[in-house]
Amino acid sequence: MQRVAEAIKVEFGEQVEIIEKSAKRIFVYIDKKKIKNIIHFLFVDLGARFSTASGIDDPGYFEILYHMAFDKEGMFVTVKTQINKSDPEIDSITSIVPGAEWIEREIHELLGIKFKGHPNLKRLLLADDWPEGVYPLRKEFPQVRRE
Amino acid sequence: MNLFKWGLRKAPAVFHAGASACNNCDIEILDLLTPRFDIERFGMTLAGSIRQADILLVTGVANRKIAKKLQQLYAQMPAPKVVAAIGSCACSGIIFRDSYNVGTPVDKIIPVNIYIPGCPPKPEAMIAALIKALNSL
Amino acid sequence: MSEIFKAIILYFIFPGFLFTAVAGLLSTWIDRKVTARLQWRVGPPWFQPFADIIKLLGKEMIVPEGVSAFRFVLIPVLGLAAITLVSTMLWMVVIGGSSFTGDLIVVLCLLIVPSISVILGGSVSKNPLSALGTSREMKLILSCELPFLISVFTVIMRSGSILLVSITEYQASHGAIAGNLSCLLAFAVALICVQAILGYVPFDIPDAEQEIEAGPYIEYSGPAFAVFKLTRAMMLFVLPVFLITIFLGGINVMTWQSVGWFVLKYVLILTAIILIKNTNPRLRIDQATRFFWGPVTIVALIALMLQFIGVKI
Repeated sequence: MQRVAEAIKVEFGEQVEIIEKSAKRIFVYIDKKKIKNIIHFLFVDLGARFSTASGIDDPGYFEILYHMAFDKEGMFVTVKTQINKSDPEIDSITSIVPGAEWIEREIHELLGIKFKGHPNLKRLLLADDWPEGVYPLRKEFPQVRRE
Repeated sequence: MNLFKWGLRKAPAVFHAGASACNNCDIEILDLLTPRFDIERFGMTLAGSIRQADILLVTGVANRKIAKKLQQLYAQMPAPKVVAAIGSCACSGIIFRDSYNVGTPVDKIIPVNIYIPGCPPKPEAMIAALIKALNSL
Repeated sequence: MSEIFKAIILYFIFPGFLFTAVAGLLSTWIDRKVTARLQWRVGPPWFQPFADIIKLLGKEMIVPEGVSAFRFVLIPVLGLAAITLVSTMLWMVVIGGSSFTGDLIVVLCLLIVPSISVILGGSVSKNPLSALGTSREMKLILSCELPFLISVFTVIMRSGSILLVSITEYQASHGAIAGNLSCLLAFAVALICVQAILGYVPFDIPDAEQEIEAGPYIEYSGPAFAVFKLTRAMMLFVLPVFLITIFLGGINVMTWQSVGWFVLKYVLILTAIILIKNTNPRLRIDQATRFFWGPVTIVALIALMLQFIGVKI
C-alpha cells in the first residue's frame, strides 16, 4: 500500500493530490488532461486491474472516478478527475484499457460526457427511441413519471 | 366441456419471458420445476419455443427497451393464450414506476389475464394462480 | 374392394396408426412418470400425453411468412406416415406372418424418414436457431446410423436372411439372436443407437431445449407440432419392438405366456432407455459424432467380425 502511494507520488509529484482514506483505500485527484498518463502508469506499470468507472453530477462540475484494484495487496486506488459542465469532454482510456469501452458508453449516454478517441460511442442501455441529447442522470432532468 | 379446453387445462405449456427483472421472480419460477413444487403433476411443462406455449409468464418491470419485444412475443404466441404477470414489478412497477426507463406497466403493453403480486411471490401462490387462470378459460 | 378396406383397417386402426399411437403415448407416460419418480417428484397422471396432443390440436397454427402452408404441414405428416407403416409391417409379421424379401431393408429405410422430416421441417422454418438444430440433427443421424446398420448386418449374417419372418422363425428354433456373445455386443450397440434415433438424453442434441429453443421445431405450432410429438411418441414404441423382433426372439402373441414375455422384453428395453436418459448429461454434437464413429462403430465391427468367424467355423 505504501509502495503504491509512494510510486504514484514519485512519478507524478505535484500533478496529483493523494488522500489515503484507510490502509486499503487511496484517492488520487488529478487534472483531466493527465488522465491517460496516470491510468497507463497504474494499469501497465503497476499492474492494477481496472474495476469500473463512475460518473457523478456534482453542483458545478462533472466528476469521473476510475477505480483500479490491486488484487494482490487487496486495495483500491480511485482516480478522480473534474470536468466542467460547459464543455464536458475527456480522453477515453480505451486505448490503454480495452475493457473500459462499455462503461464509457454508459457514462456518455446517461450523463452526456463526450469521450474523445472512443471507438464506438453509441447508445448502450437506453431504448432506441429515447430522444438524443436528453441525459437522464443529470440533476436537472426531472425524475417524474412519463409515458 | 369442449375437448380442446379440457386439453388446455390439463396440459398447458409455460413460457418464461424475463423483461428486465432482477431475476428473483425468475428463480422462484425455476423452483416450480423442482421436486418440492413440481408443476409437472398438473401437466405443466416448460415450452421450448414461444410457438408451443400456452401461458406466458412475464417477470420484471418491462422497461422501454423490451416493451416492443414483449409485444412481438405476445403476437407470436398462438391462440388461445394466457398471460400471467409475476411479481409486483410486472403487476404495477412498484418503486420503479416513475423511473425514466420504465414507460408503462406490463398490462398496457400486452393484455394480462392474471396478476400474481409478491416480491417474489411464493411458488404455491404461482401454482394457485395458474390453476385459477386455466380454470377460468 | 375388400382388400383395400382391409388394408385401411390394418394401417389406420390396428396394428397401424391408432394402436401404435395409443401404445406410444402410454410409453411416453411411463417414461415421464419414471423420470419424475427418479427425481423425487410426483409426475403427471396417466392421461397426460393424450391431453398434450389434444391441446395442441386445438391451438392456432401459425405458418411462417413466405412458406407454403401445404409444405409446412406435409413435412411432419410424412414422418408420421412412415413410422405408422413400419409399425404395421412389424406387427403384420407377428399376426399374419406376411413378409416379403427385403422387408428388413425397407424397415431400415423407413426408420430414417421421421428424422428426415425433422430436418426438412427445420430447414423450411426461416429461423437461424432452427437451422442450427437442423444441422445438428443431420450430423446426429449421420453418426448413429452407421453402427446401427452394422449391428443389423450381424443379425442378417447370423440368421442368414433378410426376411423378417425368417428371422423370427430362426430365433424360434435357435433361441434369441442376442443369445451369443457377438450378437449381444451388436444388441448393445443397437440400443445406444436407438437412444440417438429417438432423440433422448444424452443425444437430445437437436432439441436442446435450454440452449436453442426447441431447435428444428421452433416455428411449429398447433396441429403440425402435435404430429411431430405423436411421431416421436410412436417411435418410442416402434423402435423397441423392432429390436425385439430382430434381436430378442421375435414377438409371439399366440398364448398369454408369450404375450407376457413380449411385455417383459419391451419393459426391459424401455427401462434401459429411461435409465440411460436419467443418468447422463447431454453431449455436444462433436462429442456425439466422435462417440458413434469411434468406440461404438469399433464394437459393432468387432461383433460383426466375431459373427463372421463364428459362421465360418
